Amino acid sequence: MASPILSVRNLRTQFKTDAGIVRAVDDVSFDLFPGESLGIVGESGSGKSITALSILRLVPEPGKIVSGDIRFRNDDLMKMSDEEIRDVRGKDIAMIFQDPQSSLNPVIKTGYQIDEAMLAHKNATPSQARARTIELLKKVRIPAPERRVKDFPHQLSGGMRQRAMIAMGLANSPSILIADEPTTALDVTVQAQILELLADLNHELGTAIIMITHNMGVVAGLCTRVIVMYAGQIVEQGPVDQIFEQPQHPYTWSLLRSIPRVDALRHERLRSIEGIAPDLLRPPSGCRFHPRCPFRIEKCFTDEPHLEEVKPDQVAACWVTMDRARAEMGADDLVDIRPGAGSGVHPGEMR
Amino acid sequence: MATAAAVLAQPIEPEQASLWSDAWRRLRRNRFALISSVYLAFLVGVALLALVWTPYRMSAIGLAQIYSGPSAAHLLGADELGRDILSRLMVGAQVSLVVGVGTQLLVLAVGVPLGLIAGYYKGVVDTVLTFIINVFYGIPDVLLAMILVFILGPSLTNIIIAIVATRWMDMARLARGQALTLREREFVEAGRAAGARPGKMLFGHILPNALGPIIVQATLGIPAAILFEAFLSFLGVGVQPPTPSWGSMANEGVQAIQYAPHMVIAPSIALSVTLMAFNFLGDGLRDALDPRSRR
Repeated sequence: MASPILSVRNLRTQFKTDAGIVRAVDDVSFDLFPGESLGIVGESGSGKSITALSILRLVPEPGKIVSGDIRFRNDDLMKMSDEEIRDVRGKDIAMIFQDPQSSLNPVIKTGYQIDEAMLAHKNATPSQARARTIELLKKVRIPAPERRVKDFPHQLSGGMRQRAMIAMGLANSPSILIADEPTTALDVTVQAQILELLADLNHELGTAIIMITHNMGVVAGLCTRVIVMYAGQIVEQGPVDQIFEQPQHPYTWSLLRSIPRVDALRHERLRSIEGIAPDLLRPPSGCRFHPRCPFRIEKCFTDEPHLEEVKPDQVAACWVTMDRARAEMGADDLVDIRPGAGSGVHPGEMR
Repeated sequence: MATAAAVLAQPIEPEQASLWSDAWRRLRRNRFALISSVYLAFLVGVALLALVWTPYRMSAIGLAQIYSGPSAAHLLGADELGRDILSRLMVGAQVSLVVGVGTQLLVLAVGVPLGLIAGYYKGVVDTVLTFIINVFYGIPDVLLAMILVFILGPSLTNIIIAIVATRWMDMARLARGQALTLREREFVEAGRAAGARPGKMLFGHILPNALGPIIVQATLGIPAAILFEAFLSFLGVGVQPPTPSWGSMANEGVQAIQYAPHMVIAPSIALSVTLMAFNFLGDGLRDALDPRSRR
């Protein structure tokens, strides 16, 4: 395989609060390869967004990256001066945010905001930038881009705003696009369009995508590899197909199982993950998931599991792993939620 | 049928409603603000006219019987030296407008950048700037202005500087508060993620969003500055004779209030009406620019 375009090693980002230190990202390591689309999934507070912000050194106060090594190509992002990292932002690594409503400046015309992304890096003259902005808006399928550039953000629909944000992200042809829950604020049909657009751009332009989401369905539709985070740590990582078929960490398994299905039997209750997300001020001992894990053993209370290879290319941090849980503890099989996979009905529940 | 066809034939043009055109539309609907604007335009016209023409030379003495009341030759009467009050009032309008607008321009130039920087960077910068602001708030404004005028000398420029020294803090505080809330907005984070420089963030993104309240504050600051100048002139440390100021004219008038009340009435009414007009306009702007009052 080619060498990674982005490599994160032992990243720790912490927030010093009056109540103590919150370890939002606790020893996270992963690689991103050129042109790849990587999903990072987890509940709110699992550290996925902070991981993304740490890459661009944009962690909000009072957060601080305490240790770790982030390499983009061969440059150490952690050692760059403020000026150097600013030049990486938006040019080599672009980011789009959850809420397109608030990510665009309400009092500045949309087109000018996209121009600005190029002008900030002295990549174009104002007239070149405007020409490219119109081209970009066409690429993200905004109709009548020549007119739309003169619109204020509030004159665009939610989906169009997010398309404009994506156009802004692509303005300098970055090698990496980080998308932090880009579809959460949009309605379902628009979500699908945006995901399709991102997938096309990923194939067409070869831009590597890091998709941060809590939605397993989004990962299934877009990504080739997935990282599952829990309480600031990576608990499982591997190719999407493999993870969806045979998740090895009980948390991943629970996430997949909790996705509501249209074709579920009517008497079936929605499944949720019991318990609440852990307090990152005082994370549980041993495995951080053990208080909510249906398959915990004694060891889980005391010893912290580390990522180990459970299948080829697939690592998980679990003392039990789902293979064993299924064989010995009677865990039920998963329904494959990927688009076009199977009938989706539990074999045991067909009556 | 015909009407339906006519409606359909209309080109569908999306309304290009920006914040400013919206605000302008609402301001025009506010009758007090509109009348005030007309009056202020008239006042500016009078002040400009006074540059080239006044009924009489404003410093010419003995034009009329001293303390004489309004007459056909002297519409507003004459003062204790027999000078034409109308002419002096017109020149006084220049002083008031220059002081009011000049002061607020300087207040904007000082207060807005300092406030934005304090609010955007927070931390030590903010602590230091807030401390300075509080120190200035602690000094009695009349005392500070008088000391400054004594040190610098009583010219129009120095009076403006003295008033700015006592008035820039409100604007700095407002800008700081705006920057503090706006910096947490997502578009600021998005801008930084796109590699925008701090200067561009502050003045290209945060300032345009804070412009509404800043304009309102500046407009409402104009009458306060005019009043302060009138007050200083009334105390005798303002504009120096023979240049008339509405404040100094009122001062001269007060001494003769029992037998020549017109001397105090004329400048007082001019002052009051002007202050009211600026305040109505400021209030109108506040309503027009407040996004919550959007209709």
